Amino acid sequence: MAGFSELIKNFSKTREYVHDFFVYGFKVRGEFNKKSSRTYDDEKRRTESWMCDHIRYDELGRGRQVSISVDCGHIQENPLYSAFRSCSFTDNDIKLHFLITDMLCGGEELSLREMTDRLNTDYCFLFDEQTVRNKLKEYVQEGIVISVKKGKTMYYRLSEDRTEDYFRDLPGLEDAVKFFSETRDIGVIGNSMLRQADLKNDIFYMKHNYIIHTLEDILIPDILEAMNDKCFLIIKTFSSETNIEKVVPMQILASLQTGRRYLAAYIPGRNRFTSRRLDKISDVKNGGRCEDYDLYKEKYDKNISKCFGVSFGNRHTSGTVSPMKISFYVDEEKESFILDRIERERRCAVLEKTGEHIYTLTADVFDPNEFMHWAKTFIGRIVNVEGGSDEVRMRYISDIIKMKKMYGGDDDEDIQ
Amino acid sequence: MKIFSEIYGTYFRITSKILSEAYTDDKTVRDIIMKEGFRDSVLFLPQKLIPGSEDWGLLERLPDGRLKRIIKNKPVEILTSLQKSWLKAKISDPRIRLFMDDETISRLDEKLADVKPLFLSSQFRATDRFSDHDDYEDEAYREHFRQVLAAVKKRSIAEVEYVTGHGRTMRGKLVMLKIEYSPKNDKFRVYSLLLRHDRIRSSGIVNIGRITYIKDTGRVFRTPFSIDDYFSSRKCTVPAVVRVTTARNGIERFMMEFAAFEKHTVRDLETGECTVELWYDAQDETELLIRLLSYGPVVEILSPPALRKQAKERIGKQYSLLCGFNKTT
Repeated sequence: MAGFSELIKNFSKTREYVHDFFVYGFKVRGEFNKKSSRTYDDEKRRTESWMCDHIRYDELGRGRQVSISVDCGHIQENPLYSAFRSCSFTDNDIKLHFLITDMLCGGEELSLREMTDRLNTDYCFLFDEQTVRNKLKEYVQEGIVISVKKGKTMYYRLSEDRTEDYFRDLPGLEDAVKFFSETRDIGVIGNSMLRQADLKNDIFYMKHNYIIHTLEDILIPDILEAMNDKCFLIIKTFSSETNIEKVVPMQILASLQTGRRYLAAYIPGRNRFTSRRLDKISDVKNGGRCEDYDLYKEKYDKNISKCFGVSFGNRHTSGTVSPMKISFYVDEEKESFILDRIERERRCAVLEKTGEHIYTLTADVFDPNEFMHWAKTFIGRIVNVEGGSDEVRMRYISDIIKMKKMYGGDDDEDIQ
Repeated sequence: MKIFSEIYGTYFRITSKILSEAYTDDKTVRDIIMKEGFRDSVLFLPQKLIPGSEDWGLLERLPDGRLKRIIKNKPVEILTSLQKSWLKAKISDPRIRLFMDDETISRLDEKLADVKPLFLSSQFRATDRFSDHDDYEDEAYREHFRQVLAAVKKRSIAEVEYVTGHGRTMRGKLVMLKIEYSPKNDKFRVYSLLLRHDRIRSSGIVNIGRITYIKDTGRVFRTPFSIDDYFSSRKCTVPAVVRVTTARNGIERFMMEFAAFEKHTVRDLETGECTVELWYDAQDETELLIRLLSYGPVVEILSPPALRKQAKERIGKQYSLLCGFNKTT
């Protein structure tokens, strides 16, 4: 395995492998067939190295199955954050990082020439000015170094925002960052702050915790930037390198129950809104200013209120926009907790009492499938289904009949 | 502003840690790499730090064999623009007020006056969050939360009164171990031990939103107690075993939804179906059951028998409703 490195340059390739090891966990070497076996071996070894405490091996007849097994509700740090800590770099990158920050940490303001000279005289490192200039430019963008122009010369000083000062001077910030570092919305950034200060979350656990989302966080800053700047976004998917789509990004949607996150976007070519799964997107880039952004956003804000989940449905299928009504049996006196559950989970559906112990939810939504899927968590109580689409209603009936057979009717023997 | 950058990387962190002391030695360098690095870092990193043919030149060897850093000061850790813009975005999150008072938040806001928030809350939308979330604006809730947080950090014994899920008011001395947050419920709960005569009587979870009174007794619970033991005591004794079929993209949907569970999956190569063992907290069994049933015939609960029986009963009732009323029109 000559040339193997546990550091990586290309995060998107690793995303695919870590995703499959974690989400599926049932594939063996021969089933990772998108790339060569050598690529699989390297990606597997890296994943083992990053997350060794959570790797599980199972010897099967067809090969060794490698998976990442995590009880996500009972961990204090997302183990997939390790993937973000594996970015490769050059020897000059690390040398200049520690030398530049050392040179400037006393509060001095130095020009490029002065710094290059001092690297030689004070530290015995010979760098050409262009190399140092590039690093300074990068660090100015990252906010580590501040540049100030005096006359014709640019001077550089270190940012005064020290991580330890923030934690020391702002009571409660440490606990807040410990909490937010494990939440959605790019918690990995908070985790990086904790690590700078040698801290760890030792207080909070997250239930219903979809740690896999962090792999998609790599896309989020660029998506947000395109939204902020009212720009198109060019998205590329894992399924095909040539599958490129130009969209207008509207919002990032997260289902806290299905574990999926989506980019809700307007597709100009199809004149409609849609939701693209973030875990299927390999790369995004800014596609230039969208002059009609505000117009699309206004339409989106109206449309999203008619989504039960993330789907904008298929308007070409007849009947999909007629309101769907599902009635449930609830004994209010003995089962008020069921009514409470319906109330807190009903989203945009309207609840009304329509008979003795009968409560009806009406949902005027784009995709009645999503409403029906949720309603099936009330199996045993559904007394009536109306509206929506024929397909959804027929599937519901067929499902109940199939499940009745599946569980063996009255003759079921427990399967061991 | 890059989120995937070497400046947040493990190698930079290890190097920073090693350079934090003016003098060190080979063993300490290797020990830090072993402790802080990835599993294989010890194969790649020592030769980059310890003077030799491949090193970065950040340490030099002294005649007495020790290693001396070539930089003059302990490395500094600077907050990057990305980190500051993330913090700025969090200032708008109502939950930050559980941790920081208004004056401190104002000071943070001032420090970040020139920073744009990384995101606005309106740019994200949780599609299926429950509506009865905790009220983070409520001053009494915030005060209870802060007291719980303080008790967790000190592991102190607190006198607590709270209302159970069934509406009963309970009062007792609790040791609060850790805080749990559910994004789906948007609620905080606290893992607790109930004490009687200073001995552990039982364990439980208390919704912070249901606490009506809390006071620190001033005493600290010093009996060693493992949080892993606590979790183990609440786990199912046997996993739920389910069969997931390939219909309606079932494998993909199921694996994503249940990715948060500790699980073990075996796939049948002929049918493509998966048999999945799922470990779950015993108190969440009903939640698990209804989520499995929502998959319809795509997922079949195979065992344990008690769970399968519950599924069968619910389906039986539903089948009767379907046949009896048959009002699906």
